[in-house]
Amino acid sequence: MAGLNSDIKTASKSSILKRRPGSYVIVGMIFLLIPIINLINPIFAHSTMTLLNRVVIFSIAALGFNILLGYSGQVSLGHGAFMGLGAYISAYLTMRLELPFLLALFLAGVIPMILGIGLGLVALRLERLYLAIATLGLGVTIQHVFLEWTEFTNGHAGLRRIPIPSILGFSFRQREYYLIMSTIILVCLAIFAYNFIHSKTGRALVAMRDSEHASQAMGISLFRYKLIAFSLSTFYVGIAGSLYAHLFRYIEPGTWGAELSLDLLAMVVIGGIASIGGSIVGAAFIQVLPRVMQNVPLLRGISNINFILTGIALILVIIYFPQGIIRQFVKLWNKLTYKKSVSK
Amino acid sequence: MTTFLQNVIAGIETGSLYALAALGVVLIYRVSSVTNFAQGEMAMLSSFVAYTLWKNLSFIMGGGDLTYIVAFIGALIFAMLFGYLVERIFIRPALRGSLVGKMIITLGLIMIVNGTARAIFGTDTHAMRRAITRPSFYIGNLLIRPNAYFIIFLTLIIMFILFYLIRNTIFGVAIRATAENETTARLMGIPTKKISSASWIIATVLGAIAGILIAPATNVHTNMMADVHLKSFIAAVLGGFTSFVGPVIGGLIIGIMDNLVGYYISSKWRTVIVYGFLILILVIKPAGLFGKVTRKKV
Repeated sequence: MAGLNSDIKTASKSSILKRRPGSYVIVGMIFLLIPIINLINPIFAHSTMTLLNRVVIFSIAALGFNILLGYSGQVSLGHGAFMGLGAYISAYLTMRLELPFLLALFLAGVIPMILGIGLGLVALRLERLYLAIATLGLGVTIQHVFLEWTEFTNGHAGLRRIPIPSILGFSFRQREYYLIMSTIILVCLAIFAYNFIHSKTGRALVAMRDSEHASQAMGISLFRYKLIAFSLSTFYVGIAGSLYAHLFRYIEPGTWGAELSLDLLAMVVIGGIASIGGSIVGAAFIQVLPRVMQNVPLLRGISNINFILTGIALILVIIYFPQGIIRQFVKLWNKLTYKKSVSK
Repeated sequence: MTTFLQNVIAGIETGSLYALAALGVVLIYRVSSVTNFAQGEMAMLSSFVAYTLWKNLSFIMGGGDLTYIVAFIGALIFAMLFGYLVERIFIRPALRGSLVGKMIITLGLIMIVNGTARAIFGTDTHAMRRAITRPSFYIGNLLIRPNAYFIIFLTLIIMFILFYLIRNTIFGVAIRATAENETTARLMGIPTKKISSASWIIATVLGAIAGILIAPATNVHTNMMADVHLKSFIAAVLGGFTSFVGPVIGGLIIGIMDNLVGYYISSKWRTVIVYGFLILILVIKPAGLFGKVTRKKV
C-alpha cells in the first residue's frame, strides 16, 4: 500500500479537497447555466443533454466508489450490481407501489446500503483481497437474481415505462430539467462526502488507509470504519442507479454486470483516488470517451474500443500517475501560476 | 444411488478444472502477491486460440485427433508467451507498487483482454470438440463418459507434475522461497524476477488447459470463463490462499457441490447457492480449510 498512499498524502496538500464546499456550489451553479441556457435557446442537441445527465449520474456513483477505494483502500467488484439494485428498487416502488419519486430515490439508496452492511459484516473482517472476491460473487449473484426473479424485474425483457419523476407535481420530463435536478443532488452528495471525510470518521479512515497497524494502536476499530465506508458507498451507488432508471425509463439485467463495476473503478482511479473532484473528472472521462471515439476514423471500426482503451488508461494511470489525472491538472496549474508570479 | 454417483463423477470432472484454474491463481498470488482477476479472461483468449487453430487446421489436416492435439499444443505455446508478456509488460513495472494497485492492474487487464477478444473473434458462440470423442456407454446402470475420465486423469497428472516441481526440484525451492519472502530470496541469489515470470507462465498455461477442456461444456465465447473464474476463486478461498493443496481440494468440493445442488435442489439457483456457501466459509473459516492465519508484524 505504501507507494499509493504516500503519493496521495503529498498530493492532498495541494488538491482541491482543501477548499470549502462552497466551491462545489459555485461550480454546480456554473454548470447549471448549460441546461438553463439550453432551455431558453437550444444550442445543444438532445443527445448531448443525455450525455451530460449520464456524466452527472455516474459522478454520483464514482463518488460513492471513491469513498470506498480512496478512503478505506478496499476494492469492490459488485458496485455495478448495487447500482442495478437501486435502479430496480426505485422502478418497482414507483411503478407497482406508486410511491412518490423522492421517497423511492431515498429507499433506492437505503436498501442496497442494508445489503452492503450485511455483506460487509462478513467480508470486511478479513484481508483486503476477500472483499474483492466476495463482491465479485455478489455481483454475479445479484445479476442472476435480476434475470430469474421475474415478478420483480421482468427478467431478460427488462422493465419499460418507468415513470417520469415528479416532485410536488412538477414533472422532470425534459432532459434539461432532469439535469438540473441530478446536478443539485450531486452537489448535495459531494458536500456530504466532503463533510464526511473531514469528520472524525473520515480522519479515522484516512489514518487506517495509511497504516492499519498504527491506527489500530490508536484505538481505531478497523472493522467498524471499513463497514461505514462500504455501506455509505453502496448508498451513493444506489441513488445513482435510481436516477439512471428514471432518466432512461428502461432497465435490463445486462447493464449491471462486472463491466459496470470495472468502469466505476476506472472512473475513480483515472480521475483521482481520494478526491471528490477526481471522481467527477473520471466519470466525465469514461462517459465522454465513447462520444470522442465515434469520430476517430481508424479506431471507429474496432468494436469495444472504449472498453480496451479504458483498460489501458486504467493501467497507465495506476503505474505512472497513481494520484489520478486531476492532481496532474492541479500540479500543472500550480506550476503555471507560480511561473507567472515569478516573472512579474 | 447411480444418479448420485454420476453427479459426483461429473462434479469431480468440473471440480478438477476449477482446481487447475485455482492453482494458477494461488501460484501467482504466492509468488508475486498479485490477485490475478484476469486469470479467467486470459484462459478465455487461449481457448479461442485453440478453437481457431483447430477450426482452421481441420481444413488442411482433416478433423482427426492429431489436429486437435496440434491445436491444443499450439494454444499452450500461445498461453506461455501470453503469460510471459503480461508479466513483463503489466506486472513488472508495478513491482514496487501497492497490493491494491497491482490488483487494479489485473482488473484493467480484464478490460483489455476481453475487449480485444470481442473485437477479434466477435460475440458469437462456437461449439468446441471434446478431447475424447468416443461415445458414452453403460456399465450396468452407470453411464461412462470417456471424456470425463480423461479430464480427471489429465488434471491428476498435471497436478502431480506441478507438485513434484514445487516439492522436489531446485526450481520449486526457489518458488517457495520467493513466496515466503521475496527480498530475502533475492539476497540469497534466487533470480526472483525469473521466478515471477515462470509463475505467470505456468499459471496461464494451467488456466488455458482448464479453459480448453471446459470449452465443450460451456462453448467458446467471450463470456465463457465468468462462471468458472468465480468458482475457481471460491475454490481458492475455500482451500486457503496460503497452501497449494488447499485449492485442489477446494476445487473438487465446489465442483461436486455445484453438481449435487444443480441436480437435487435447483439448477436455476445453483450459482447463488454456491455463492452463499462462499459467504459461509468466510464466516466459519476465514483462512480456508488448509490456510494458516498470518499475523503481520509491524
